[in-house]
Amino acid sequence: MTEHAVEVAQPLELPAVVRRRLTSAELAGLAGLGAIALLPIPFGSFGFFVGQYALIYAILGLSVVVVTGYAGLVSLMTYSFAGIGAMVTGVAMASWGWPFWLALPLAAAATIPVSIIVGVTAVRLKGLYLAIATLTFADALGETFFKYGRVTGGQSGWIVHRPSPFRSDASYYVLLLAVAMALVWMVTGLRSSRVGRAMLAVRTNEREAQALGINVYKTKLTAFLISGVLGGIGGAFLALLLTSVTRSAFQSPLVEATSILLVTVVVVGGIDRALGAFLGAVALVVQQQVFQGARFFFAYFGIYSAALLVLFLLYRPGGLMQVARLQWRLIRARPRVGIAAAAAIIGLNVGLAWLFVRLS
Amino acid sequence: MIAAHPVIQVTAFGLSSGATFGLLALGLVLIYRTTGAMNFSHWAIGLLAVIAYLFLANEGVPVVLAMLLALALSPIAGIAAYRLVFRKIPRANQVVTILITIGIAQLYASLAAMVLGFKQFTRLPPWLPQGKVSFVGTQLNTTDVVTIALAVGIAAGFLAWFRFTRTGRALRAVAQNREAAMLAGIDDVRSSTIAWGIGSALAALALLLVLPHVAGKQGGLITTFDITPFGTLLIPAFGAALVGGLVNLPMALAGGFAFGLVRELLVLAPKPWSDLRAVAAALLILLLLVLRTERFFVTAQEREALEA
Amino acid sequence: MSAPLLEVRDLIVRFGGITALDHVSIDVAPGEIVGLLGPNGAGKTTLFNVISGFQKPDEGRITLRGRDIQHLLPYERVAAGLSRTFQHVRLFANLTVRENLLVAQHRHLSSGSLSAMLRLRAWRRDEEEALARAERMLDLIDLRAWEAAYPQALSYGTTRFLELASVLSLNPKVLLLDEPASGIQQKEVEALGPMLRRIRDDTGCSIVLIEHDMSLLLSLSDRVYALDFGRVIAEGSPAEITQDPQVLSSYLGRTRRAHASA
Repeated sequence: MTEHAVEVAQPLELPAVVRRRLTSAELAGLAGLGAIALLPIPFGSFGFFVGQYALIYAILGLSVVVVTGYAGLVSLMTYSFAGIGAMVTGVAMASWGWPFWLALPLAAAATIPVSIIVGVTAVRLKGLYLAIATLTFADALGETFFKYGRVTGGQSGWIVHRPSPFRSDASYYVLLLAVAMALVWMVTGLRSSRVGRAMLAVRTNEREAQALGINVYKTKLTAFLISGVLGGIGGAFLALLLTSVTRSAFQSPLVEATSILLVTVVVVGGIDRALGAFLGAVALVVQQQVFQGARFFFAYFGIYSAALLVLFLLYRPGGLMQVARLQWRLIRARPRVGIAAAAAIIGLNVGLAWLFVRLS
Repeated sequence: MIAAHPVIQVTAFGLSSGATFGLLALGLVLIYRTTGAMNFSHWAIGLLAVIAYLFLANEGVPVVLAMLLALALSPIAGIAAYRLVFRKIPRANQVVTILITIGIAQLYASLAAMVLGFKQFTRLPPWLPQGKVSFVGTQLNTTDVVTIALAVGIAAGFLAWFRFTRTGRALRAVAQNREAAMLAGIDDVRSSTIAWGIGSALAALALLLVLPHVAGKQGGLITTFDITPFGTLLIPAFGAALVGGLVNLPMALAGGFAFGLVRELLVLAPKPWSDLRAVAAALLILLLLVLRTERFFVTAQEREALEA
Repeated sequence: MSAPLLEVRDLIVRFGGITALDHVSIDVAPGEIVGLLGPNGAGKTTLFNVISGFQKPDEGRITLRGRDIQHLLPYERVAAGLSRTFQHVRLFANLTVRENLLVAQHRHLSSGSLSAMLRLRAWRRDEEEALARAERMLDLIDLRAWEAAYPQALSYGTTRFLELASVLSLNPKVLLLDEPASGIQQKEVEALGPMLRRIRDDTGCSIVLIEHDMSLLLSLSDRVYALDFGRVIAEGSPAEITQDPQVLSSYLGRTRRAHASA
């Protein structure tokens, strides 16, 4: 029976029209959101900065959830879409004087031509070709779009500011939280729908999906387009976070590495769970901060996040949401063992982080 | 003074860099056909050999020995990746397969970066003969000529091995139809291990050949060294593999040469065209995808085998 | 004799030096149950693959309701009314029985991704309809007890029934069933015959049946085609087929050859 490759180890949820209690996994996801929301309180402006990063990574993570988690396509250009969003926001706001509210939809729409070109070429072929195509395009964009002066604002880039009603940190944070939650709500809605189920079907068993009358090409292309738009939206907010949008932020090794990091975020959270994006984002952004002072930040964090990616893919493909569910079941079945295990995991993580900070 | 002939020189240079793409592609196709995995960590496995060579050479180890030890390291890394990680994923699980190789790529590349961080390499002893050689009235770099010859020679040797030896035929059987090969008593795991080992060695050779071009050197001293150019090698390597529909070995090698050639010849092209150099590989790949080269090389049976 | 619903003419499929289908022609009338008989390797599944669009023939013509469907992709043929099951049931292993059936309702719904993401009324209506249809299927194929189970937990026969239920959700005009009774227990086989007949009687769809279980095939079919070595060697009613000398020798001959080489 192991011949039947069960790709997604986690069961899908019932459609949203059926009212039900929140599952333990979803509660964990919401806890992740809550953690992000509360970060600025104990950690002040540092917490505000980290929280913004986490929220933007969560939004970009949603892009991966749709294209990889739902439709089963590997895309290595997620951060390139974010870059397009950020640059377009920069041009619109700094060069043309547009307000953020007009720049945002433009940033999202700007990703569409790119995702159409890549998607239409690769969607009729095996998923592997799309992966190669996205890698190729990420690199090509780095060499062209992100080097073209009119787009990147030359060496100095674009300076953008938050829209006026949200100049204060607190109000902007609330806005960002609201946007992230709205997007999660939308992506979850997609899952419990005709199109969403078609994507999951295509991912699980493409031949059977075809046999049930699903237009697999249109489904894959739709997933890719939606993921591009989500990337563009994340990019627009990324521009506001960076304040100064320069082309160096989207050059070759960094853009692919961040796209891979976003995949890691989502794998750690729960690859096909929108709520998992919060969990994965907060886990990885916080970990990133732990490594921040270290001498070889890129190398150490690279090893760490790669190890996370591989270990989760091998042993916990459902991510932290699966871990939460299993842990909850363990606690209910054997309370002492369950709580001990949970404490051990948390203790191990905190201990390692502390040790690392001390040693480097 | 022999007049320099730009086309011939550029061709030699193009074929030389194409040799790297071709060898990488050869390894990629071998691993893909035998184990059903497109190895996104191929370049990182080769990178470990480069770092090993630099390390050993800077410690004073003689060049030839350093080369051999470095070439041995990549197969070890590749086989470790296969046995410890990759084998645990069911073949049909395409998404996880690709993501795992990407994770391995990041792991190995970060390890390489860490070594680079701890140790500054100052010397790059060349392991290929230096100097110039004259050919059809032009001066060519000996390194380029030797690179091309070496790549063709080793590829030919490998293809012969693949075609004529018992082990090679076993690998081909696994590539054609895994189930049937296993029924015939061929050890699937052993074949895959060999494929990853040889593929990784080819990657190591490919990256060692291109090392001098990447490490901005001035008289044997490394002035800049950074691993990102190695990462971008993966793209023309994929492109070369695509020329053979991801399954044809000789075409993959030829594709590598083609990619190298196109990129370098564009230098000689008039202004608007020469700017395309940076995206030449991307455009070629786009073209290859649109052409769906796979249909020329993959029979229905092979497709079943690859997808099963 | 009414005009054939499905017409297959002179299909030729060759690969690797063998001719898997050699000028195969069959007709299926509306509401007819047609059996396909033949030893392993005769080309029956290949014929299904070609008719349903999963494989391209080298030559030949396929028309459904007078319309040439050769250029249609598999999912487009489903829209035209042609559905099939597979020899090895796969389904969606990580969806429950009910969720599998929900996926199968795809064709009956129309809301797009935008209305799903914004949770508009069109989405809500679609979800209710999908649920209602899936529930109806659960009861029709008697899978109610299994609705929350995953395919791995089901007996092979039950997964076949699930596949049948999914495929019936498509309201097919022509249903290609590839060995529906293989690998399932005797009592489930006995339930299968009346169920298929009921399906034909209630929906009026035609069924083309590949089956090795001779009694099931002969008792269900209105007409039978016998295939061997990629060719149609006989055609007729079940009674005629069992008397046909060609058919008899193709089965007996095969067995004798197998004994000879053993």
